[in-house]
Amino acid sequence: MSTVRLFAGRLRAGRLRAGLAGGQLGIAFSGISAIGAKELRGRMRSRRAFAFLTFYLTVLSGFVWMLESLVSQSARGGAFEAAQTGTTVFTGLLLLETLLVVFLAPAFTTGAISQEREKQTLDLLVATPISSFSIVVGKLFSALAWVFILVIASIPLTSIVFVFGGVAPEDLVRGYVVLIIDAIGLGTIGLFFSALLKRTLAATVASYFIVLVLTLGATFVWAFLYATSAQVDRSNLDGSFSVTRHPPPEAIMWFNPFVADADVLCPTGTGSNGFCSLVSEVTGNTQQINQNFGGPRQVIGGVGKPIPVQDGAPGPNVIVDVEPAIGLLAPDAPIAPPRDLYWPRSAAAWIVLSIILVLASANLVSPTRRWRPNLSRLRRTRRDAG
Amino acid sequence: MTVVVAARGLVKRYDRTVAVAGLELEVDEGEIFGLVGPNGAGKTTILRMLATLLVPTAGDAEIAGESIRRNPNAARRVLGFMPDVFGVYDDMKVWEYLDFFARCYGLSAPRRRQMIGDLLDLVDLSDKRDSFVQGLSRGMQQRLCLAHALVHDPQVLLLDEPASGLDPRARVELRELLRELRSLGKTILISSHILPELEELCTSVAIVDRGQVLAQGRVSDIEGRLRSGAVLRIRVMGDGESIDAARTQFAADPEVASAAILPDGTIELGFRGDDAASARLLRDAVAAGLPIVTFARAASDLEELFLQVTAREEPAAPPPADGRTAA
Repeated sequence: MSTVRLFAGRLRAGRLRAGLAGGQLGIAFSGISAIGAKELRGRMRSRRAFAFLTFYLTVLSGFVWMLESLVSQSARGGAFEAAQTGTTVFTGLLLLETLLVVFLAPAFTTGAISQEREKQTLDLLVATPISSFSIVVGKLFSALAWVFILVIASIPLTSIVFVFGGVAPEDLVRGYVVLIIDAIGLGTIGLFFSALLKRTLAATVASYFIVLVLTLGATFVWAFLYATSAQVDRSNLDGSFSVTRHPPPEAIMWFNPFVADADVLCPTGTGSNGFCSLVSEVTGNTQQINQNFGGPRQVIGGVGKPIPVQDGAPGPNVIVDVEPAIGLLAPDAPIAPPRDLYWPRSAAAWIVLSIILVLASANLVSPTRRWRPNLSRLRRTRRDAG
Repeated sequence: MTVVVAARGLVKRYDRTVAVAGLELEVDEGEIFGLVGPNGAGKTTILRMLATLLVPTAGDAEIAGESIRRNPNAARRVLGFMPDVFGVYDDMKVWEYLDFFARCYGLSAPRRRQMIGDLLDLVDLSDKRDSFVQGLSRGMQQRLCLAHALVHDPQVLLLDEPASGLDPRARVELRELLRELRSLGKTILISSHILPELEELCTSVAIVDRGQVLAQGRVSDIEGRLRSGAVLRIRVMGDGESIDAARTQFAADPEVASAAILPDGTIELGFRGDDAASARLLRDAVAAGLPIVTFARAASDLEELFLQVTAREEPAAPPPADGRTAA
C-alpha cells in the first residue's frame, strides 16, 4: 500500500516537474490541482458525503420505480408500451436531474470565493504565485465535483431505460452532455457572484435570482413575445384570414436547461411526446401558421421553409400537418425535426457564458487585476458634476 | 549590506483618504525591521502593498529586486506573508495545510514532504501533524501560519502583528522563533503597536504615523537623535534623611536640571550632560562618601520615543526627510 502511494507520489512529482517546465500552462495546472485536492479532501472526508450519495440514489430509485409502475399499469404489454415506459422513465429522470442541477450547482459554488473572504483565508491564497484563474477554476471544478458525482452516479440507474427500449444510448449521452454543461454554466453563475459580492448569503441570493431570470423569466418573456408575435392578414376575399408569426429569437431560451432537455427528449420513444412541438416553436421551424376563420387549424410550415398551400385541396381548409412526428407513428414523415440543432446551440451559449464568467471571476479575485469596477470614482464624478 | 526591501514613494489612497503617503523605506538583508505606529497609521496597508495584495496608487517597491508592480508573481516567490487576521480552513489537518500551500508554490512531492517535516520541527508542531487545524490553540495557529509563510523558503518575511492575541509565553516562543529565522538568513519585516515586543527583537525600526515614516533607523540611533537629556535613577542606602541629603548634593551639580525623590526612595535626576558627565557625577558622589546602591540611566525606550516622535508632529506638516524633528 505504502509502496503504491510512494509510486503515485513520484508519478505526481514527475508530472508536476514536467508541468513546471511546461511554463504558464503547467503552473496553472499545478495551481488548479492544488486547490482541487484541498477542496475535495475537505469535502469527501466526512461520512456525510457518502450518506448523502446513498440517500440520493435511493430517492432516485424510488422515483424510477414509481414512474415505471404508473406507466406499466396502463400498458397492455408489448414492445410499444415497453418503449413508452422507457421514454417516460428517461424523461422523468432527465428532468429531475436537471432540476437538481439547477438547484445544486449554484449552491455549491456561491461560497467558493466569498467563504474564503469570510474566513479570512483568501489573502493567504492570493499571496501565493498561483494565478487567480487557477484559483477560480480549481474552486469551480472541486465544487462541481459533487454535482458531477451525483450526475455520474445516476448513469447506471438511468441505464435501466435500455431494458424497456425506446431510448437509444446516444440519447442518454446527449442527455448527460447537456446536464454536465448546464452544471458548469450554472456553477459559474454562483462562482461569479461569490467573487463579486463579499458575503455568501448575498452571493446565494443573487445567483438564484439570476438562475430564475434565465429559466422562468426567460420563459415568460419568450411566451409573451410569442403570444404577441402573430400578424393577422384579413385581406383574403373568402372571409378567412391568415396569421403569420415571427417567432421570438430562440436565444432567449438558450439558458433554459429544460428546453435543451426537450430537444434531447424529442426524438426518443414514440415521438408523440410533445417535446418536439415545444422545440420547434422555440426554434421557429414552424414559420407560418394559417388559420381559417372558424375552420380547423391549419399549420403550414416546415424545416426552415414554408410549404405552399396546395392547389385543388378541398376548400380553404388545407391541412398540412407538420407536427414533428417520427418513429413508430410516422416513420416516413416528410418533415422530420432535424436532430442536434437546438441543444448544441444552447450548450455553446452556456460554454461562452461560463468562459466569460470565469474570466470575470478571476479578475475579481486578483489583487492586481487590471480592470475593476470603480464605483467610488463613479460616485465622485457624479458628485462633482452635481 | 544589500537592501532587500526598498519602497520608493509608495502611496495608497482609498477614495479620498490617504492611507500611505509617499513611503520611503530601506531594509537591509538579515535585519528584523519593525514598523511601529498607532492603530490606523498605515502599517497593515504598507505590508499588504509589499505582499502584492494591494496595488499602490503611486510609487513602487522591490522585494529582493523584484518589483511588486511590474512583476508581482516573482515578488510572491521571494516573500512570505502572514496577515494580522487570518483564518484557517476547516476539515484540514496540519500537514495537509502546509502541503496545500507548498503545492501552491509548485514544490515537488518529495520536497514538500521534507519541507513539511522541517517546518513542523521549526515551529514545534511536529506532534500536531495529524491534528485538525481548527482545533489548534491561537498560538499554535499563529505558528502554523508562520510556517505556511515559509514553505517556499522565502528571503523576506512580512509579518503583520504576529504577536497579537498571544499570551506572554507564546509571545516569548514567537520571539525565539523569529530570532532563529534571522539566524537562518531571513530578512523580517514586522509590524506592531506593542512596542516592548519590537524593542527586544528588532535591529531597526521605523516609526510610522498617518502613512508616513517619522523616524527610521537603529533604536539607539533614533534615541540618540531625539535625546534632549537623560533621566538618571540613583538609589542610596539609608533612611529618608540621608536620601534627602544625597538629593541636595546631586542637585548642586551644574548638569543636573532637576532632582526628585520617588515614592520608593529612588532619586530621579533630570540630567543634561553626556556619558562623560554622568561618569564624573558618579565618581564625585562616591568620592563624597555617598553609599550608592545603583546608578543607572533610565533607558528611553521605544514607547517613549514613539510618544515623543508622534506627539511632536503637527497634523498637516510633513516630517523632515531624515526624521529629525524640532522640539
